[in-house]
Amino acid sequence: MLKYVLKRIAIFIPTLFVISLITFYLSVNVPGDPVEQMLNNNSDLGSSANAQASERAYVDKRAQLGLDLPLFYFSLGNAAEPKNLYEVPKKFHRQNLERLIDKYGDWTEIRKYYQSLKDFEVAIAGIPRDSANADALINIKGNIQKLYISYDDNAIRSDFKEITPAINEHASLQLARPAYQAVLDDYEKGVKGKATPMKKYIPALHWYGLNNQYHQWITKFMKGDFGISYQDQRPVKTVIWEAVHWTVMLSIFSIILTYLISIPLGIKAAAKKDSRRDKIMSTILFMLYSLPVFWVATLLIMFLGGGDFLSWFPAYGVGEISSDDNFFQIFGIRFYHLVLPMICFTYGGLAFLYRQMRGAMINTLTQDYIRTARAKGLDENKILWKHAFKNSLLPIITLFANVFPLIISGAIIIENKFSIPGMGKTAIEAIHARNYPMIYTIVMFSAILTMIGYLIADILYAMVDPRISYSKK
Amino acid sequence: MTTPTKQDYWSYIKRQFRKNRRALYSMYIVIFMAVIALLADVLANEKPLYCSYHGHTYFPVFKEYAVDLGLARWPKELLNINWTDTKFDHELRPPVPYSPTTQDFFNSGFVSPFGKQNVASTRWRHWFGTDDIGRDITAGLIHGTRVAFMVGIISMSIASIIGILLGAFGGFFGDNKIRVSRANVLMGIIFFILGWFNAFSTRSYILSDTIGVSVIKFLGEFALSLFIFFVSMLIGYLLAFVLKIIPFFRKKVNIPVDLIVQRVIEILVSIPRLFLIIAVVAISKPGIALIMVIIGLTSWTEIARFIRAELLRVRSLEYIEASEALGYSRMRILFKHAIPNAIAPVLITIAFGIAAAILIESSLSFLGIGVPAEVITWGKILAKAQGSKSQLWVAIFPGFAIFLTVTLFNLIGEGLTDALDPRQKK
Repeated sequence: MLKYVLKRIAIFIPTLFVISLITFYLSVNVPGDPVEQMLNNNSDLGSSANAQASERAYVDKRAQLGLDLPLFYFSLGNAAEPKNLYEVPKKFHRQNLERLIDKYGDWTEIRKYYQSLKDFEVAIAGIPRDSANADALINIKGNIQKLYISYDDNAIRSDFKEITPAINEHASLQLARPAYQAVLDDYEKGVKGKATPMKKYIPALHWYGLNNQYHQWITKFMKGDFGISYQDQRPVKTVIWEAVHWTVMLSIFSIILTYLISIPLGIKAAAKKDSRRDKIMSTILFMLYSLPVFWVATLLIMFLGGGDFLSWFPAYGVGEISSDDNFFQIFGIRFYHLVLPMICFTYGGLAFLYRQMRGAMINTLTQDYIRTARAKGLDENKILWKHAFKNSLLPIITLFANVFPLIISGAIIIENKFSIPGMGKTAIEAIHARNYPMIYTIVMFSAILTMIGYLIADILYAMVDPRISYSKK
Repeated sequence: MTTPTKQDYWSYIKRQFRKNRRALYSMYIVIFMAVIALLADVLANEKPLYCSYHGHTYFPVFKEYAVDLGLARWPKELLNINWTDTKFDHELRPPVPYSPTTQDFFNSGFVSPFGKQNVASTRWRHWFGTDDIGRDITAGLIHGTRVAFMVGIISMSIASIIGILLGAFGGFFGDNKIRVSRANVLMGIIFFILGWFNAFSTRSYILSDTIGVSVIKFLGEFALSLFIFFVSMLIGYLLAFVLKIIPFFRKKVNIPVDLIVQRVIEILVSIPRLFLIIAVVAISKPGIALIMVIIGLTSWTEIARFIRAELLRVRSLEYIEASEALGYSRMRILFKHAIPNAIAPVLITIAFGIAAAILIESSLSFLGIGVPAEVITWGKILAKAQGSKSQLWVAIFPGFAIFLTVTLFNLIGEGLTDALDPRQKK
């Protein structure tokens, strides 16, 4: 048995590895620039007028977040791409350079062009502003920013077309003239003139070693460091820990409730198969099974949760607790608040389990040994609960594995509708705030929880059925 | 019946299915809803089906198809027209004269279907009321049917193709039936990577740029990529012949297909689907197509499991042995003889899967994730209902539509389960 459990846990590892790869891949491809997002959130450096200070702040923050490292252990790129493109700090610039490389294929020329563009920006920033050239300066600065993210030939040319007259117009701007000429030359003669677009068809494998973003992320994750939440700058760990206990508590309660209700119902129905009661129950529960949880939640809130109809239960939140409440008071408040969510959590799994229990029981009751028991004159109740029940429990227990993920995904909708501060609500809030470290930690966590669910189901399965011996396999 | 009853497998299943009244009627209702989904544009549209304007005759609803496909352009006088308010000389409007996105400013703020409405005549009445900004619920429900059915059917088609192929390979070939020479394995891996590189990696900008422009262009580019990929695989296959000159590479190795497929399923199953979909949708542009593809890519596991179990049974049957003895190729046996006999149980999973896919899509719309603003779905309408009495109808109708559709597909799945159960044979 122990051996089997260990083996199962060993299978976990590759599974988790693949999930972590998927998660990481997603987190790398997020739109927007996380560094800029962080900077804009907690200070005004990102929008500061001093270009060099903000550039330095950017580079520092990037290094602090560990985003200045290569992505993965290796990369399969093409021969046109340099190995160290990741060293270009700004994400949007990097993406634009990738586009240019894809189009023109000569990195040395493109790098020269990028450098002279930066020099030009510095030169423009160094020119003192007066009332005469203010408009022209703003115009040029705007167009430089556009050039950083333009790869289309027409777009670049139209930017040049706006810069050229602005520079020629004002005598004070002539200082930046040579720098601008360099940009023009590097683009026309260098990037476009010496283009080697065919180079991108040659594959190139780059090796980066252990010092990469994925490795850093996953080792930190294993150590329990999930990063910093973009939303409120708190560690993700704290936020998740606060959220997870709500979800786990709700799901454990509702699983227990589901089993406690559905098993006797299912057995009763199977014992009186095809009776009117059985048919009515089956139909009702079948319909419950198809009821979308968000609809039930909406209707419950509307009719029972203080809408314009009855206000029996609070519709939102988990209740306020004062510090001098005793355990029973706390329990009372929580319970009162969680009645409606619990109904939503429970009914779907209830219908599902009921159907399975009924089916399993009907199957068992047709077996020979039950007929023998009946022939022996055993009490019908004893047959049901002692002999048949045990054997039909088997499929039900394995379903634990199916019920668990059901509840986890249910949590997303239910917690949001009822404003319960659990994982589901945190996840949706994180998505709306584009708080990626949070999203990916939650995905990893829910995967781990699901796998634990499967493991528990397997172990229970082996415990209930002595015929199943995992160690022999 | 005067004609003799057919005795083949499929007609038998059809007969069994027909015996289950509930499932049969569910099927009829589903077909009816599918027709509504198909005709959504004709049933609910702010544009008239036919109109004459300044002496010209137009068929705006149908013209729109042509415009969307890029085959025609709107004439100047219709370009920026307000379809609802314009008085045409003659007009024939659809039964519901609103598009799901048409805003009726005189009837905004959850107008009840039974109350007084500020409309010109009964012809313009909002039969199921309106939402907060005056969009017609009837039109939303009709067009929502289309979205729901599209998501259900397309995502399950994707899932079926993947599930049937992988499950069949796993079940039919098991762990030790596919033996490939080392040369083929090596060349296969190398040229798979090369093919992937040249077809998708270097062309990724072309592909991602065209997807925004037009679907047809994207499909063209995608087909070209696929072509490059397969040519690359073919080159690898041919080169393997050359490599086989060396004895070392001629040696054959086992490919444990079943093991690989099982592992992939195990991994996929342990990712909570809704969380994964939300995470993927969070990083990409909202779009129904994306949702369909992700649901499809994550829901094939059950189909694969079913067909694998079925093929494990089928492959040891005598007729398979007989066809092997006749010297048919294994692929021919698999695709022509084995899979057709194992495919019926998959229908059950597909029916349940469509129900599940529709539920996922409406959950996403309800949460406001991944569905673009201009697409109206049942879940989106339902999300408008917050709790006050005036919003009751906004909660009841779309919720019931989702419930009904899901129930119908579940009932069909149930009926199929019974029809395919050998114990039910009468």
